[in-house]
Order: sequence, then structure tokens, then C-alpha cells
Amino acid sequence: MNKLAFHTMILAFCCGMMAPALAQEQKAAAAAPAPAPAAETVCFESRKGASEVTKRDLQPGWPNVKCSPKTGAVLWWGDPFDGTVPMGKMPLLDKIPEGHAVIKPRTEKLALMPMCGVSCHNGIGPKFSPPTLPKGRKPAPVPTMEAMVPDLKDLQHGRGRIWCLDCHHTTKRNMLVDHFGDPVSFDQPQLLCGKCHGDKLRDWRDGIHGKRIGEWASTGKKRWFTCTECHNPHNVQDGARNRGFVQIAPEAPPQLPRGMKDAKYERVHGIAH
Amino acid sequence: MTPDKSPSADPAQEKPSHSPTQAASADPSAPGPTTSRRGFLKAGGALSMSSLMGTAALMTQSDDAAAATEWAEHFQKNYRLMTDAEKAEARTRLERRYSSEYGKKVTVDTTGPQPGVLMGYALNIRKCIGCRRCVHACVEENNQSRGTRPGEKIEWIQVLRMERGEFAKDKMNQGYPEGLGIQVGGNAYTPAGQVLEGQYRYEPEAVPEKDATYMPIACMQCEKPPCVKVCPVRTTYREADGPVVIDYNWCIGCRMCMGACPYWARRINLTTPVLPKEEMNPVTHYLGNRPRMRGVVEKCHWCLQRSRQGRYPACVEVCPVGARKFGNLLDPESEVSKILERKNVFRLKAELNTFPKFFYFYD
Ligand code: SF4
Ligand code: SF4
Repeated sequence: MNKLAFHTMILAFCCGMMAPALAQEQKAAAAAPAPAPAAETVCFESRKGASEVTKRDLQPGWPNVKCSPKTGAVLWWGDPFDGTVPMGKMPLLDKIPEGHAVIKPRTEKLALMPMCGVSCHNGIGPKFSPPTLPKGRKPAPVPTMEAMVPDLKDLQHGRGRIWCLDCHHTTKRNMLVDHFGDPVSFDQPQLLCGKCHGDKLRDWRDGIHGKRIGEWASTGKKRWFTCTECHNPHNVQDGARNRGFVQIAPEAPPQLPRGMKDAKYERVHGIAH
Repeated sequence: MTPDKSPSADPAQEKPSHSPTQAASADPSAPGPTTSRRGFLKAGGALSMSSLMGTAALMTQSDDAAAATEWAEHFQKNYRLMTDAEKAEARTRLERRYSSEYGKKVTVDTTGPQPGVLMGYALNIRKCIGCRRCVHACVEENNQSRGTRPGEKIEWIQVLRMERGEFAKDKMNQGYPEGLGIQVGGNAYTPAGQVLEGQYRYEPEAVPEKDATYMPIACMQCEKPPCVKVCPVRTTYREADGPVVIDYNWCIGCRMCMGACPYWARRINLTTPVLPKEEMNPVTHYLGNRPRMRGVVEKCHWCLQRSRQGRYPACVEVCPVGARKFGNLLDPESEVSKILERKNVFRLKAELNTFPKFFYFYD
């Protein structure tokens, strides 16, 4: 086994509970240097790294999405239910007609997550007595949780009032946790977020807060975007801006009138009345 | 124009045709009929009406889908006055024509308003980050002209960038004259929300900017639409389920509605619309996103081709922050009804009594 493979393995096994963040970063890194139209176009739906969609043809000449050539964001949906699963009945959400709310499952995207709860964070410390390393192997640096989530010691979510285990299950690290200590799937983050943000949960349930696509009738089939598709829970305030949504690049501006060179023209030249 | 011009040549590079109206075409170099409804009827004054009708009937049988449609359209009623049979006929010939013109199967929906539906729209003004994805989604969905030369690019939605103002201590006494003078009142306020001509063309690296808020505007689908009042040929009207629509075939391009609309919502096709074949959205509605001709006015219609089929308009689906909401105002369980019930809601230029069905809200 060569050195690189070994390191990769170590990294994979010690992914820890912040695997979602890690997976996102890897994805973003992979997507960034290839803006050229490759065979496969992946564009992001709400925020980069969280909800992405791969462009393909539903019928010849009829794509499932159209992506922006400028920012790589989804600009148009041919099929709003692409890659979704029924959300199922949830406490507090009993009003939804069966099968009418669908979500895009997130867990299958988080490649390293299944290992979090069995490799390092299973609630049982590593058993080394006496502490040994495999024969012929040198100690290798492993990324710490801090390396993966730089803000870990100063987590901005809740302005420093909450820590990892307020959200992540103590023994099942591939799960979140509700008020009763019961595990919550990464696909149903609203059950976790609603613990503190009850007003937002109510608005989200009623379709006021958050995004939905599909049919507009109140009984129609809709795809609901869950909390973590738009908000990064580890950096929900995005620093000093104190807004829940990270900055993104805007799409191209409208055409300038003849004679105007750039958008600043009016400011420099004033307006004629 | 060279006759042997390749049909795949960029339409933006074409010399504009100076015919008064020309059908929307993916390839403006193709010889199109150069008669407009106005010109045609004027010229036809010398001929008896019956002989004209005969010619039209002959032309309708023609193999050339575009020519047949053109001729039939000259004798077509205003869409509102058509019988169901006439609508079906118009739909068939348009589908045939667009399919041959754009090289894919194009459908022209004629679904009418559904009973018990009054469409409404709500936009969370605090959430909008000014990313302009709604603007571009609208262009993609609704077959707007997307050329690069002046007048060839049409966008129905505008996202205005508004500056944030503030009250400042150090400006408390500004606006008062030095020494003796007439008191004119103070001004401790830094002006905000001034929309200069350039401020919907902002170009920052990333949005939202710290010192800005954003205000998207488009057609408000007024309950008492001034555009409808002024239209001399009654080509624009309010549908029973709410949206104000335009029968493009009857529009004479007088632009009265553009002057009457207080929300800058209407756009005119001064040039032949530039709509590349491969980008054309083949799912269309007669009163919605079907390709427009030169010299007609167009505007937002809440994506009738989608919303009459139950789907959200394209701008709602694309908004990354979910600022845009759409639903049935008559259904108390719908998203817009819940917003009207629970949130702080305002309408733009409410003092004009146009009663928009587009509501801004914040929480
Ligand atoms: S916003 Fe303008 S175009 Fe739309 S209905 Fe009102 S007046 Fe007419
Ligand atoms: S897509 Fe949404 S957030 Fe972006 S400019 Fe439009 S309304 Fe605002």
C-alpha cells in the first residue's frame, strides 16, 4: 500500500462528526477548478456544496435543469422532483397529505458520515493497552476536528452558547439529537433546528419561511427544502453580516443603455432631470 | 443579407429587417411575411373583403406552416372573443408553425382560468439577497429576447438595489442655515432607498452587500390595472384567475400601457426577438410565453404555462432563499393567505389604487 492510500485511509477513518463539512469542502474543491463544460454538469440549488443537481435529459432536448453559465447556479427546473424521496409523516407535520411532501435526501451525499459513529465517535474510546501502533508504521498526522471545522472553538451558531453535543447525538454520531435524546436523521434537520427556532419551524411548516418547489396548491405535491439545504449550521450567521445565508455571486446585470460604460456611470455623472 | 447565409449564424449579427412587423423567428434571415395587421388591412381597402377571405382560406391550406399561420392570424378574433373551436384551431396551427420553426415539438397550452382560483404572490423583502436568479430564470422560462445589441435584451423582472440610510448624531443640525435665516428644517438622515438609473445594474463580487437591501419588481397583476384602462385595442385584460395578460396578435405596439403602468413592468419588442432555437422553451401558453413578434408589448404573467398546470412560476422555484411565494388567495391554507394573515404586508405604490395582487412582506 503506498503512502497516499494509507493517509487517505487514516483520514477516512478519523472523519469524525464533522464529515458533512468535510464532504462539502471536497466537493467544492473538486468543482472549483473545472468551470469548462465537462461531460457532466453539476450546479448548485441554494448554496454551494449542500444541494446540488446533475444535469441530464428527461427527454431528448428537455433537460431536468438549466444551469447558469456565469455562477453555476440552477436557473430553471424542468422536473422539480428530481432525486427526491417522500418526506414521510413527522410529528407536528400531520397535516401534510400522505406522499405530498418530498425532500432531497442529504445523507447519501455525505460519503464519510456512516463511519463517523463506528470509527472514532462511537462513544467508546480507543482501546490501546499498552498503546501500540501497527508494526512498521510510523505515526501519521490525522486531521483534527478543528482542521475540518475551523470555527470549532468559537462556533458562531448561537453566538458561542451551544456546542457539538447540543446537536449531534452522543453515541450515534451519524445522527442528530432531539430534546429527548432520541436520534434524528440528517435528512430531517428541522426536528433538530425547531428545538430552538420554534417560530421559524412554524413558518417553514406553513410555507412562509424557506423554499418549496413543485405545485402551488396547498394540497399539491411539493419538494420542501429542509434547513441545512440553505443554511450552513456551522456558520449560520456568516460572520459579522449576521444573516442566515452566505453570500453568492449575482447573475449578470441588465443591459446598459447606450453610452453608459458601467453601472457606476450614473453616480459619476449625476442624473439629468 | 446574403441569400446563402447559414441558418445557424448568430441572429445577433444579422442586419435588422425594417418591416413594420415580423414574426418572431429563430432565424431572422429567413424571408418572413413582411405585412403587418395594420399595413395589410390598409392595403386591403381596395379589395373586396370576400376575395380576401378566399385568399386567406387558400393560404391556410398551404404547406408552409409560417405563411398559413400569418394569414390565419390576420382574420383572427381577439382571443377573448374566440370560441373554443377557434382557440383549438389557433393552437394547432401555432404548434405546427413553432415546431417547424424551432425544430422541436412545441406545445401551445390554452388552459383557461380554473374556478375558485385567484392567484396571488408574496415576496419577503427582508430575505431577498439580490442574486438576480429570478430575472434570469424568467428569461429562460418565458422565451424573452436575449440579444446583445440595444433593445434586443428583455427582462421582465428588475431587482432594485436600495441603499440603507441611517439617522446620525453628527448630522443633527444639517439643513439649517448659518446665522440668521429662514428656518428650513433639519436633516439628521442619510438618504436611503434612492433609486438612481443605474442601481438595478449593480455589479458586486458577491451579494448581499452589507449596505444594501434589494427590491425585486415586475408586473403586480393589479386588480384595477391602469394598463388595461388605457389600451385602445383592448388587447390586454385581466383573466378571471387574476393575471393581466396580453393577446400578442392584437397588440398594435402603441405603448400606452407602458406609459400607464406605475411599476415599469412592460417591455416592448422594438427589434425582432432574438431567441436561439436550442434555448427556446417548447412548453408555452397562448397568453404566456409563446414566441412574440416584433412590435408587441410583453410582461410578466406569472408563468401561465406553469401556474395553470399547478406548478409554481419559475422565479419562485429558482429563488435560492425562498423569498418568493405563490398561491391561491381564496384558499386559507395557501402560502400567500398564511402570509397575509400573519406577516407585515405592504403593496407598492398603494396610494395609486391599482390594488396589486403582489404583496411585499417582512418578518
Ligand atoms: S403592474 Fe403595470 S402591467 Fe402589471 S397590471 Fe399593473 S399596470 Fe398593468
Ligand atoms: S432570486 Fe430571490 S433572492 Fe435572488 S434576486 Fe430574486 S427574489 Fe431576490
